[in-house]
Amino acid sequence: MDQIVEKPETLIGKPIPKPDAPDKVVGKTTYINDMVLPRMLIAKIKRTDRVHAKILSVDISEAEKVPGIVAIATAENSPKGLIGVLKDNPPLKGDKVRCIRDEIAGVAGETEEAVDEALNLIKVEYEDLPTVFDPEEALKDDAPLIHDNKPGNLSLTFDFDHGDIKKAEKDSDIVLEEKYELHYVTHTCMGPGCVIADFDTHGKLTIYTQTQYPYNYKMDLAPALDIPAGDIRVIQPPVGGAFGSKLDVYPFEPIAVYLAKKARRPVKLFFSREEEFIASPTRQPARVYIKQGAKKDGTITFRDVNVYLNNGGYTSWGATIPAVMMRTMTGHFRIPNVEFHSKAVYTNNPFAGSFRGYGNVQATYVTATLMDKMAEELGMNPIEFRLKNAQKPGERTPQNSLLKTAALADCIKIGAEKTDFLEKHTANVAAREKPGRIRQGIGIATSIHNAGGAKIHKSDGCGTILTMDDYGRATVITGASEIGQGIDAVITQLVSEELGIPTSDVIIANNDSAIGPWDVGVHASRTTFIAGNAARNAAVKAKHQILAAAARQSNVSADQLDLRGGHVVQKDNGVSVTKLDRLLRAMHFAGDDAELVMVSEYYEPPSELEDKNHVGDISAAYSHGAYITELEVDTLTGGVKLHKMTCVQDVGKVINKLGIEGQMEGGIAQGIGYGLSEELIIEEGIVKNPNFRDYKVVTAPEMPEIECHFIEDDEETGPFGAKGISELPCIIPGASIANAVYNAIGVRFDNPPITPEKIVRALHGDKVEAAE
Amino acid sequence: MSNIENYLAPSSIEDAAAALAAGPATIVAGGTDLMLQTGSGQKTYAPTLINIQKITEMRGISKDGDTIRIGALTTITDLLTDAIIAEHLPVLATMADKFASDQIRNASSIGGNICNASPAGDSIVPMLMYKAEVVLVASTGTRKVPLNEFFTGPGKSVIQENELLIGVDIAVPPAGFKGGFGKFGPRPALEIAMASVSVGGVVKDGVISDVRVAFGAVAPTPIRSAETEVALEGKKLDEETISAAGEVASSSVNPITDVRASDWYRRHLIRVMTEEILNDVS
Repeated sequence: MDQIVEKPETLIGKPIPKPDAPDKVVGKTTYINDMVLPRMLIAKIKRTDRVHAKILSVDISEAEKVPGIVAIATAENSPKGLIGVLKDNPPLKGDKVRCIRDEIAGVAGETEEAVDEALNLIKVEYEDLPTVFDPEEALKDDAPLIHDNKPGNLSLTFDFDHGDIKKAEKDSDIVLEEKYELHYVTHTCMGPGCVIADFDTHGKLTIYTQTQYPYNYKMDLAPALDIPAGDIRVIQPPVGGAFGSKLDVYPFEPIAVYLAKKARRPVKLFFSREEEFIASPTRQPARVYIKQGAKKDGTITFRDVNVYLNNGGYTSWGATIPAVMMRTMTGHFRIPNVEFHSKAVYTNNPFAGSFRGYGNVQATYVTATLMDKMAEELGMNPIEFRLKNAQKPGERTPQNSLLKTAALADCIKIGAEKTDFLEKHTANVAAREKPGRIRQGIGIATSIHNAGGAKIHKSDGCGTILTMDDYGRATVITGASEIGQGIDAVITQLVSEELGIPTSDVIIANNDSAIGPWDVGVHASRTTFIAGNAARNAAVKAKHQILAAAARQSNVSADQLDLRGGHVVQKDNGVSVTKLDRLLRAMHFAGDDAELVMVSEYYEPPSELEDKNHVGDISAAYSHGAYITELEVDTLTGGVKLHKMTCVQDVGKVINKLGIEGQMEGGIAQGIGYGLSEELIIEEGIVKNPNFRDYKVVTAPEMPEIECHFIEDDEETGPFGAKGISELPCIIPGASIANAVYNAIGVRFDNPPITPEKIVRALHGDKVEAAE
Repeated sequence: MSNIENYLAPSSIEDAAAALAAGPATIVAGGTDLMLQTGSGQKTYAPTLINIQKITEMRGISKDGDTIRIGALTTITDLLTDAIIAEHLPVLATMADKFASDQIRNASSIGGNICNASPAGDSIVPMLMYKAEVVLVASTGTRKVPLNEFFTGPGKSVIQENELLIGVDIAVPPAGFKGGFGKFGPRPALEIAMASVSVGGVVKDGVISDVRVAFGAVAPTPIRSAETEVALEGKKLDEETISAAGEVASSSVNPITDVRASDWYRRHLIRVMTEEILNDVS
């Protein structure tokens, strides 16, 4: 009798648990921090205690005598290559130190105790140099020079102009001019920095790293090591979070390699939690001067933006965030005339790197609060003013981003309806005049982000190899890294869907650069879109190969066949032609006609590089979101309690419901921290709160109810219609909260985080002056 | 490098006292402060490490006549669930509910929280309000010290190297006694106090007497505020008294400015929380 295989329900949009989750939950996962290699040494870094000083001498003679010490690397005895986006960062500092995290020496030994003792015995003599910590101060002619070859302390600049802002300003009925001071925050990955370096007897390096861009990592690491990039093999064990912090090479990585080379043994170098706070990258702090004009009817006329980024001592990817910041400043809402100028400036602060949101967290805090301020000036409500200026489908931004679906207006309207926004907003303003300790607030913020990759490298592609074994299992070798964001689950789902096999029959391999094909890295919300397309396309190719073989075996043509429930079936009636595993074996063991199902795909998205004027449609798709926060403010303590965040998010298509909700919630927790509580306090270049006691991440009790509404507008170029949205959830909440706090108490905060003390000072300012 | 040479885990107070008499030792109970302080290098281990967790007689809450003894190894979680505490010293349960996180409450001991002598120590503030006395045992004998005479500075107290804090004694408060505890930090959990307040007294016909007021995180040690107590003693708890007491409370302290809060904000919080507790008990 014919076996009938019913068409199963689609997997797309279903909640699929992350394949790596159970091992993590039960503590079985071997994170990089847990790894031990045979004969492995432990290593740590001797850091400076100065923020700007000439190094007169480094004496390691006493440290070398400590029993168990095997190798000590200093600038003098190590390769001289540089790292960083502008190649301005020597992994070990020999001439001078420029910020508090600067590395003087690496020490490798048999035990942590021996290494600690040796670190204490390294003697460094310095001659202190004049310091500068403020980016605008550092630009002045008489400011101390941080790098001799960087005149004016200028690192990177970005400039864009479109239209005529001078004329537009004259034609405006109102103009608002504001200054924002955006603060330092850090990633607080649960797994602190860690790397293991190991040379084989041929002199080739295997590096076990937390990197989120393994292929370009080789290119960036090699110059510091005096070895060819091709001699580096990158292994990526499971990591405890990255969030953009692993998108560059940092000094500790080459230092571990120097030590491994000297010791001729594997070396593991790891950070303490305190070191993680002091020596890992931060989000780029920004001082933003912004001017925006509008007509009486609410039409925005222009924006003029000047940004000063505190680069710190060296240039990491953080200095390039204006590339993304600019897209929101120039293209979020219809801005007919716009100028954007940014300067990343060297100072003696710890240097900033890349962080989920990549400049858009800062841009959104500024633009979304400015939109609210301007609506109020115009006597319009926050919804009406935004809708007036929201782009329509098919419009292009000044930088040429094509807004194919332009879900912005829909996001705003749905959010307003779901929350009774206008009624509550009006009532809360009226309630400010009445007595009472607790004030209710509601606020909206919106943003835009690239959602179909971002072509900032010459290729934005991802390679994938898909093979099937003799038992019907698929192995997907993808260039995309799993850093906790959930790509393994998404690829599993997409491949299962195409091949008609259970998700448990898909194996993902993506942690070894010697095996995986190239991918640009986990960044720019690109992985679901790019790696998803690559995996799906590979699965389609495999399916074609399988169905062609099945057609040869049966009397049914390939286009009448389908894969379903581990069988090849007739598409129209579900009658099984053969079991998939049996067919795969028959294909494999077919004598001279033997074939393996083994396909490859390199997916390059349909996007373009920016030209030198920053014009270019860099992403295949863009996503909008509108997040509405409801909260209360205790006017006596300044405490803010979040009630609810209603998030309308344009996602193209939900692939993994569990995954996308997890990304929303995790991102929102980071976004709330940015708005309300997280701040890396840096005074005169010194990190004052390098611990979780005083660096206030959001914990479970502060999380509001989160209600997500996904707009599924089927992005034609996305895998099954999906866009990438992993950054927007952390980009929008801060501004949404700021607008809600204003609605509650009538005070604006242009200097997040909005801490209880700032609120109380703003409300009881007279008493502050009396007391001080 | 750790310089621990001996590890001891005595099972009686007598054995622990003998071990302490033998030379410099570090005592560990829950370890929630000690591990962090030794890990960061803020504190170094003495040659002998004494784990007192096996001294079962030091854990638990008992009532003998009008005196309640809280053993030093009693955890913060124990305070939350104990019937004697709930009946006679409920403010300690209120405090326990605001203390760190579940995991830390399960490990932290009352004795450790006191001996750590943090100016912000959560459990100390309501115990000052309850006029607790600490019980110190050495091989040479036992002494009791009122808690408000115990602390000498941040991390410092009158405890001697050869002494073990075995518990605290608190007299059952008189009939009609009411009190409260308030603590403020930006998070509702896992938070160190920017300021904390405990106020208690006998409230009868709207008049408060036997007033005790204690503050945390506004001085080098947790303190009693005699000025605020005087401002309240024998007064009717009306709006005017409460507001005046808040004013006295806030001006009676001289806190520092640090990364957590400014001195002004700490004084402001002292006023707000003092008034809040007084409104609750009135």
